[in-house]
Order: sequence, then structure tokens, then C-alpha cells
Amino acid sequence: MLHLRPENLLVQKTLTEAWNASESGSPLTLDRVISDFDYTTLHVSNSPDNKNVLWLSIKTKAWQSVSKCGDGFLEHLQSKYSGFSGIAPVGQPEQGYDYTLSVDLAQLQPDAIVQLSLLKIHMMSFAFQLAFHEFSLLSQQAQDPASFSGSNDTGTVRQLQYRDDENIFIKPSNDRITVIFETFFQDETDKVFGKVFLQEFVDARKRNRSIQSAPQVLFSHEPPLEAASVMTSRKADKNRRFITFVLFQRHFQTPELQFSSVCHLALFRNYFHYHIKCSKAYMHSRMRYRVDTFIKVLNRAKLDEKDDGDQTRRTITGRKLVY
Amino acid sequence: MSQSLRPYLTAVRYSLQAALNLTNFSSQEVERHNRPEVEVPNTSAELLLQPMHVSRNEHEQVLIEPSVNSVRVSIKVKQADEIEQILVHKFTRFLEQRAESFYVLRRVPIEGFSISFLITNKHTETMKTEKLVDFIIEFMEEVDKEISEMKLFLNARARFVAEAYLGEFVY
Amino acid sequence: MEDWRRIDIDAFDPDSGRLNVEDLKPPYEATISLAELEPKISQLRSAATSGDFATALQLLTSDPPYSADETAKARYFEAVLSVLTQVRQAEIASLIKQLSSTQIDVLIKYLYKGMSVPDGQKQGGILLSWFEKLTQNSGVAPVVRYLSDRNTV
Repeated sequence: MLHLRPENLLVQKTLTEAWNASESGSPLTLDRVISDFDYTTLHVSNSPDNKNVLWLSIKTKAWQSVSKCGDGFLEHLQSKYSGFSGIAPVGQPEQGYDYTLSVDLAQLQPDAIVQLSLLKIHMMSFAFQLAFHEFSLLSQQAQDPASFSGSNDTGTVRQLQYRDDENIFIKPSNDRITVIFETFFQDETDKVFGKVFLQEFVDARKRNRSIQSAPQVLFSHEPPLEAASVMTSRKADKNRRFITFVLFQRHFQTPELQFSSVCHLALFRNYFHYHIKCSKAYMHSRMRYRVDTFIKVLNRAKLDEKDDGDQTRRTITGRKLVY
Repeated sequence: MSQSLRPYLTAVRYSLQAALNLTNFSSQEVERHNRPEVEVPNTSAELLLQPMHVSRNEHEQVLIEPSVNSVRVSIKVKQADEIEQILVHKFTRFLEQRAESFYVLRRVPIEGFSISFLITNKHTETMKTEKLVDFIIEFMEEVDKEISEMKLFLNARARFVAEAYLGEFVY
Repeated sequence: MEDWRRIDIDAFDPDSGRLNVEDLKPPYEATISLAELEPKISQLRSAATSGDFATALQLLTSDPPYSADETAKARYFEAVLSVLTQVRQAEIASLIKQLSSTQIDVLIKYLYKGMSVPDGQKQGGILLSWFEKLTQNSGVAPVVRYLSDRNTV
């Protein structure tokens, strides 16, 4: 399993189960809390009055900051599901959650299940969507020399606070979109391993010709200029790392490309932390193996007690003779 | 085997052969005690023999401290950079946690070294001294190899992972 | 004194019969001072610069300054180390052959001492090849004698 999937498998499975049960006429009673990356929790439960209607609620760290990015956030989410019958937002979100969708199992389609499991990505994509939009405005402006001010530094920076101390900054300009991940490592080992991994992210594009068209990746200890304006109020921590992805138009030309780019970017942190853990696990199993071989070598040193068995004298009945 | 590793290991081998010449020796201080004299601080200097340093360079050293009934062998493993430091630390810690199955391994290395062994007369009575020396030598060879392999693996994995991730953006 | 249980009271008792490192030093008739060593140091250095390593080696392995104090020993050892590290790898074996067994015992003390100080550790490779040639010549015996000899260089 090299890549992480953007959809939440457990949501998918739960909804499919519920759908099947409801099709066969015996709807399930559900109350399931499902967790996702970055402190996200999803809650699947029956609606209070109808067993054939499910509620899917989401709570994430990023909700606050995403909704601050611009107007029309709820409309954006709604538009993702408006094409499917039977899915509608619930006016008042469930207690303790940020957003709730009601799902009518009777009208549910299999496609909708996949879309529902992507709820978290859809939510995150709002900030990216705004940036894509602003980009197209800016690039049109740039082509019109009369209104072009000559500076590339015009877009607004949007901040996504998706974990307690970690942020994503998105800044569109007239020829590119810059996505900056602010991250820091709690564990000393993770820090060193992370450094190796991040360095490879930076170098990968230079080395491998077949991925030349991938976004450029930069890595720095200082906040990049794009994000500096938002960062000034925060005190700089020397454990912080900044990873910058530079997206060009080829990465978000069509809605499909936009969607897949957003999926990958939203999972970037999870992806590389996951692989750090994998490396650690592999090293652990390697060390286990190595310990076994060392013990074997050491056991060669032990005196074999059976060796002198032949020399001990035995009585005629086979008993050992003790002197 | 690299050019300078062989004399290094030979020197350790000779030094160990000379040092692993132990006898049962009861404590002179406390009745009915029998303890590894090299581990007992500030008593009876006459029981300790000349310590032997064998060093390949500043980063790779072995210190052998012999005494009448025990020998303490401490190894400093090469740590060229931050990654190797972490790997050596993790690896030696992993071994030390399993010290009981290693018999001769000391749970805590002495100051300034990566890992220590404590060989007592009990060990030389139940094990072949030659093979014990072989073990230490093999350990020294393998640790270096293991650390550099792990480092290579980490880099290779990071590279593969990064390329796979960025490959997703190529349409 | 919070850790009074750990105080080693025997260490304060002059009649405890305990021996420390000082007690184990062999009794020397006279101690050699640094000034007395200077001519030998310059002799060693000049022999090394003129490339006469055989003489230098004979000189440094006979009558080592056992009774000198630590600073004098360190000064003297600098000269010894510079001689040892200037010899070419190929010559080491033939040089060792010219030494008597007592001289080899002295040489091995210098080798171990060299590897225990930072200056010598930088030259670890050459000291190790001296060591290798030495053991090829006389086996493990010098190492054993080194272990039990209380005369240090």
C-alpha cells in the first residue's frame, strides 16, 4: 500500500451496509463514530425520527479556518451533493459537530456513497477552489496590460489550520499557485527521518526526468515570503519546517485535475508521516533479525554439555557413574 | 574488508585474547561477595590491569578494561552524521533491552561509548573464550554494516516515496 | 550531605589496607624531570627528520622515562608519536625485527598510549599497522606483558 486513498473506507463500508440492510427491508440501527486523519471525526447515526434516514456529521480542526477563507462555504459543500437525490444538509448541525448531512437510504445511489466518504476532502477543497478561482481572475488581469500592475504578488493568502500547530497556506498569483505546508516534528527521530524524506521530495523532480512536470517542491526553515505576511504575528520556532509546492496551470486545468491535486495535497502530511512510520517499523524488524543472528553467534561460544557424555562412565544398567 | 578495518580488528582480537584470562575471585571488601572487580569503584587498584585503547580514528574506538575476574569491553561505533547517530542509538538501545539473552552485554554503555560488554569469569567458564572473542569481532563488523545498510535503505525509501507521490501529479 | 549512606568510609581509614593507583607505582630511585628529557627528545626529532628511523626506534624503546611525571611523559610522547607516524608502512616490519623482546614490550606501551590520546587517534591507521606487524612478529605475548606491567610510559 504505497498511496493513501482520499476516501474514507469505513464511511463507505458503513453506508453500504446500511444501504443493503435498508434495501432488504430491515434498516440498521447505527451510531458509529469514525475517525480520519488530522483529528477528524465522522459520526454516522440514524436520524431521530426515521430509521431509513442517516445522519453523517463531520468535525475537523480545519473547519473554522476554512469557513473564514471566503464566502459561500456551505453552498460549496452543498453543490458537491446537490447532484444526488436524497442527500441534503441538516439546518442545525448535530451537537458537537461542524456539519451534518442527512442521507435518505431509499434514494441513495452507489456513486453518492463514494462522494459521501470524500466529505473531508470536499471540505478542504473549498480553500483550494477559491484559490483556483482567484488565479483565473489574476491571470486574465495579467494578460490585459492596461490593468496589470507589474507585480506578481497580488493574491490573498488563505490559511488552513488543519492541526493544532500545523497550517497550510495557499496563495494564488497570476501564473502559479503556491501551497505551503507548515509542519514540525515532535519526536527527535521523526525530525531526522523527516529531514531525509523532505530532502528527497525536493530532489526527486531534478533527478527523475519522467516526473519533471510535477510541482516544484521547496524546503526551508524560514517562513517563505508568500506566507510571511500571515506568519509575522506568530513567534518563530526553530523546529518548524516549511514545504512549498508550486502548482502551475497544468496541475489544475480541468475540474478532474483540480480534484486529484487537492486530494494529494490534502494528504501530503499524512502520506509522508505514514512512510516515516513504515521505515521505522521496517528497521525494527531488521533489528530483531539482527539480534537473532547475534545470539546465534554468541551461542556458538557455549560449551556443549553433551560433548563429554561419552566420556562419563556408565554402569551396566546405563546409570551414570558418579565419583 | 577495507584496508584499515583488518588491522583494527586484529588489534582488538589480540588485546581481547590477552585480557580474557580470568579467574574466580571473591571480593576482598565484603565477605561472601563475588563481584566483577572492574565495576567496583575506587577499591583495590591492584586488581585492575592496564586498560587498552584500540582506535581506528577518533570515531571508532574500543576500550578494553581488564581486571582479575572481569573484562569490560566498550565500543564506539562510527557515527558520521545525524542519521547514523540516531540509528546507532536506536540499535544499541534495542540490543541493551535484550541484554539478558546476550549474557555478556552491559545494559548501559560507559561514558563516551556506544555499547559495552562485561565478560566475567562465569562467562569464560561456561563459554569458549575463542568464540567469545569471535563474537565481539563479528559484532563490530556487523554493526557497521547494519548501520550503513539501514541508512541506505532509508534514503532509498525516501526517494521512492517522494517520486511516487510527485508522480501522481504528472498527467 | 544528602547521600551519606553512600560514603565509602574505608577510603578515609589509613589502615584499611586498600591500595590505590599511586601505591602500585614501582619505586623509582630518581624521577626524571622534563629538562633531563629534552636532549633525548631533540635526539629523537633529529633522527626522525634525517630519516634514520632505525636509530630513533632503538632510542625510544630503550630506557623509557617511566619515572617522569605526566606532563613530561606527554611531551616526550609527542616526539615518539612523530617518529612512529613518519615511518613508511613498508619499513615497519623490518624495523620491528631489529628490536629485542624487551624493546618490543616498550614499543607496545607506546602504541596503546598513542591510541588513547586524541593526537594518536587521528593517526589510528598507522599505529594499527605498527600493532599488526608487532603481533605478527611476536604474537600475543607482548600484549600480556603490557597488561600486567605497572611501569607506564
